[in-house]
Amino acid sequence: MAVAIDTRRSRALLVVLVASHLVVISHQVDGGRGASLLERGIFSLLYPFQWVVNASVRGVKNAVASYVDLRTVRAENVRLKEQMAVLETLLQEKQDRVREAERLREALALKEILPLKTVAAEVVARDGLPFYRGLTIDRGSEHGVRVDAAVISPTGVVGRVFEVFPRGARVQLLLDAQAGVGVLIERTRVMGVASGRSVPGEGPSGDLEMRYVALRADVQVGDVVVTSGLDRIFPKGLAVGRVRAVGAGTGLFKDVRVEPSARFATLEEVLVIIGPVAEEAPGAGA
Amino acid sequence: MRAFLTGLGILLALLVQSSLSRLLPTEAPLLDPFLLVVVYCALVGGETHGMLAGAAAGWVQDVHFGGTVLGFAPLSKIVVGFGVGLAASRFMLTGPGPRTLTLLVAAVADALVFAWLAYVFDVKTAALSPLALGSRATVNAAVGVVLFELIDRRLRRERLA
Repeated sequence: MAVAIDTRRSRALLVVLVASHLVVISHQVDGGRGASLLERGIFSLLYPFQWVVNASVRGVKNAVASYVDLRTVRAENVRLKEQMAVLETLLQEKQDRVREAERLREALALKEILPLKTVAAEVVARDGLPFYRGLTIDRGSEHGVRVDAAVISPTGVVGRVFEVFPRGARVQLLLDAQAGVGVLIERTRVMGVASGRSVPGEGPSGDLEMRYVALRADVQVGDVVVTSGLDRIFPKGLAVGRVRAVGAGTGLFKDVRVEPSARFATLEEVLVIIGPVAEEAPGAGA
Repeated sequence: MRAFLTGLGILLALLVQSSLSRLLPTEAPLLDPFLLVVVYCALVGGETHGMLAGAAAGWVQDVHFGGTVLGFAPLSKIVVGFGVGLAASRFMLTGPGPRTLTLLVAAVADALVFAWLAYVFDVKTAALSPLALGSRATVNAAVGVVLFELIDRRLRRERLA
């Protein structure tokens, strides 16, 4: 009898939980942001742990790298080994600093070139679910980051901010199936929309697809693809990638595959554009 | 106490997933530590515990690693929690064999429910290939069985002590 009551209760709970979640999802799909308060609560509560683990991982990575480097000098004689170990450790530390300085210099150089207000952010976490391509950064509304802010790297466009918390933000990568950026072929000014490429049955690839390119448009392998600025999120002229393959497509449009220029797999720092994007007249540059 | 341990498990899952995403960015999505927490809760606590753990773990996962529409991960994990809990109350799912099978089915069900929800609500997500789905299920089953065995051994030792 008790088991029957338990089963009935758990089934009722299942119905309640499923129904409430369907309502929450439907509300968001309709355009609202019903879960915002809950999201903020969960993120704010657990973000410090995520930040700590990120710092620890960075430390462990450095320690492992130092250890691996040390192992390579084991063939040296005993006296030199000790000296080498110390020198290698120091060298590793210095190299890390040089690399960091180079990265920052690169980022700062980009910052100087861009006529936009940007904030540098560190990547705290990456994809955790196979269905999305995104990352978490350590800058949020307290640093001027807002929803739909463009995220870039020295090598190219990374994505856009879709969720902002006081001290962090979630970024949707260009590789995500839902992402989209207005682009044009630099050589011929042919326009299109670039987004993540995911083929049913094959899964996501590391490439982008450039959609809405007319069959008669002049697009060649190797063409440089840049942002068009028409989406009012990304400034015009930022590198998106290079055309990797051009196919006939099935309908009115070509099948254009673009190799992204941003190195998504090794992203550690990004720039978030927090200043206003210069107004572009529709059709400009076309 | 049970709620506290579940919360601790979810927090650990978040830390593991965050670390993995930084250390092995390409392979990280293969392992779903949140799913392992939900399955274990459902195996030892039944469907109610499994569903509640699924809701909590799913929300934490969605907020930290999800896309623009939230709710798919908690909903799929609620269904998995209920299913595993129900199965655990009717069958003996204590040995490594049955648990491997449970984890395999749970990982596939979780991904399929998620993908189905995204399809129903017309939200574009990356399509998982059968190979990726199989790899994900295998990795979760392998890690889960070892982890569950270790937890069970520890609990048994504590009980005996």
